[in-house]
Amino acid sequence: MNNLALAADGAWKVLVASLVLGAGLPFVFALGVRARASAAGARADGEHAERRPVGNVLFVLCLLVVLFGVALGITIVVASGFGKAVSFEHIYPTIVSK
Amino acid sequence: MIAASRAVFRGLGLRIELRGEEHLPTTGGAVLASNHLSFLDFTFLGLVGVERGRLVRFLCKEYVFGPSVVGWAMRRMGHLSVDRGPRRPRTSTDGCGVPEGPPEGLIRGLRCPGELWLNSAARPGLWSFHGPRLGLMTTATLVLVLVVVVALAFDFTNGFHDTGNAMATSIATGALRPKVAVGLSAVLNLVGAFLSVEVALTVTNAVINIQDSKGAPKADLMADGGYALLVIILAGLVGGIVWNVLTWLLGLPSSSSHALFGGLIGSAIAALGLSGVKWTGDGTKLDGVIGKVILPAFASPIIAGVVAAVGTWLIFRVVGHIAKEFADQGFRWGQIGSASLVSLAHGTNDAQKTMGVITLALIAAGQWTDTTAVPLWVKFTCAVAIAAGTYVGGWRVIRTLGKGLIEISPPQGMAAEGASAAVILSSSHLGFALSTTQVATGSILGSGVGKPGATVRWGIAGRMVIAWLITLPAAGLVGAVMWYLGHVLGGALGPIVVVLILIALTGYMWMRSRRQPITAANVNDEWEAMPETKRLERV
Repeated sequence: MNNLALAADGAWKVLVASLVLGAGLPFVFALGVRARASAAGARADGEHAERRPVGNVLFVLCLLVVLFGVALGITIVVASGFGKAVSFEHIYPTIVSK
Repeated sequence: MIAASRAVFRGLGLRIELRGEEHLPTTGGAVLASNHLSFLDFTFLGLVGVERGRLVRFLCKEYVFGPSVVGWAMRRMGHLSVDRGPRRPRTSTDGCGVPEGPPEGLIRGLRCPGELWLNSAARPGLWSFHGPRLGLMTTATLVLVLVVVVALAFDFTNGFHDTGNAMATSIATGALRPKVAVGLSAVLNLVGAFLSVEVALTVTNAVINIQDSKGAPKADLMADGGYALLVIILAGLVGGIVWNVLTWLLGLPSSSSHALFGGLIGSAIAALGLSGVKWTGDGTKLDGVIGKVILPAFASPIIAGVVAAVGTWLIFRVVGHIAKEFADQGFRWGQIGSASLVSLAHGTNDAQKTMGVITLALIAAGQWTDTTAVPLWVKFTCAVAIAAGTYVGGWRVIRTLGKGLIEISPPQGMAAEGASAAVILSSSHLGFALSTTQVATGSILGSGVGKPGATVRWGIAGRMVIAWLITLPAAGLVGAVMWYLGHVLGGALGPIVVVLILIALTGYMWMRSRRQPITAANVNDEWEAMPETKRLERV
């Protein structure tokens, strides 16, 4: 039964972390795509909407957030390969020994 | 005998040219020495003697003269036997006065009435082997070589079975051309495999009891050059490969790690009884078959599915009313990025399992002692094997994942791969190991559930779930049968037969796959064009 409790605990943590990164980042990416479309004035019905250049700024911001997330992912992979782990105890990620 | 040899040479299409045969006197004693690198080469020198009208006596290791037909023939032909024990050379033939001394003395001081072949003169190290031990060493070495080769074959199937986990969505949406996708995935798997500097040598410890906590093999399995342990590993690997290839033939994505674990569990039960299997951990962390395989198997598709469904739903809420081309173009890039991350993580996670298994075999056979590191050649060959497998591409599995479950669009692809990458990375970070395949499948299903109005082919999803449920027992059954077979036949024969059966089974399944090949060219064909019943019949 202990295994079950441990699994539930692990699964719960994985679910929360993955929702933030795995659904959150694609959501931010989608916001960026929408901002870029709005900057170009492209709409689903084929009509041309008014161009909003501020969308390009938002697009770059969103892209930076996503790229940061990807870089974090790569860091976790590489760090675990070298026997290190990425710690979030200072909120911002740091590389520590396992 | 000479005529028979000539017939064999002719049959093999060999053309033999003799040079310098005039240096062999037609009378009196002479010593002929040759390099010995293959099974046949020493026989060529016999032709020199024939050319000069003389017969040659061969000097051979003692065990060739054993109680067999060969031994009888060797004695009848008057060849000479040598005990290659340390510093104790002697010949068994009368009339050869050989002084005491090291092997060099044997050659120099030989006073035989005839001529003599000096066989295996090229490798002085061989002289230090004891006769009886020599046979044992060769058996254990042979089994070790078989284990290494079969482990690399497993690594290869691991690669091609799992290509779809990362690349199926990118291939299905056309974000990447099929060949480009598998190429990218192969390179990232290769890089990922080399990144695994710290390899878990305790990989089998998750499910069976053949190693201690540091990674060294159990002492009671170490007799006879680790033979018992090597046979367990070999049978387990065969179970894993057979299940991987069968599920590939059926186009079902199933976990390669579970296939490996299943095979090992089966062979361990066969060899050591139920106590050979670690069913649960000690209660402090998730461990054993239940903690590392069964519970994560239930959790991973659900977690990944939820994350992908939420992600897909959010994406369609955001981009619902912008131009489709705009959205598709943007999400293609997002998809490629997230799929690459999955490939990289796959290389680091999965290649090191094979590295751990091979190193365990090397330790058991006494060829490696360090339990904290992996030989460089093991790392290199494993990395290349998994990358090669990935590049070959399990197109049947890719097709099911990319086209079979849902009709996938770039935003869904991005959501699915993003969810897969996030779940795989955060779970390995949190020590809750999940199967990449089940995560990827759950993600793709979730991205179908999350898109308003999309249909999910639950029938195919159901077949996959059944495949997941029977992966462990099915691979285990093959592993157990292979172990019994190897054990009953014993010696070198058992493992050889096991490997031959593996080759026959995989060869047969490959032949079956040719009846309805799925390649890079037709991987993206419409799914519905082929009715389910017909597809099953043809497979």
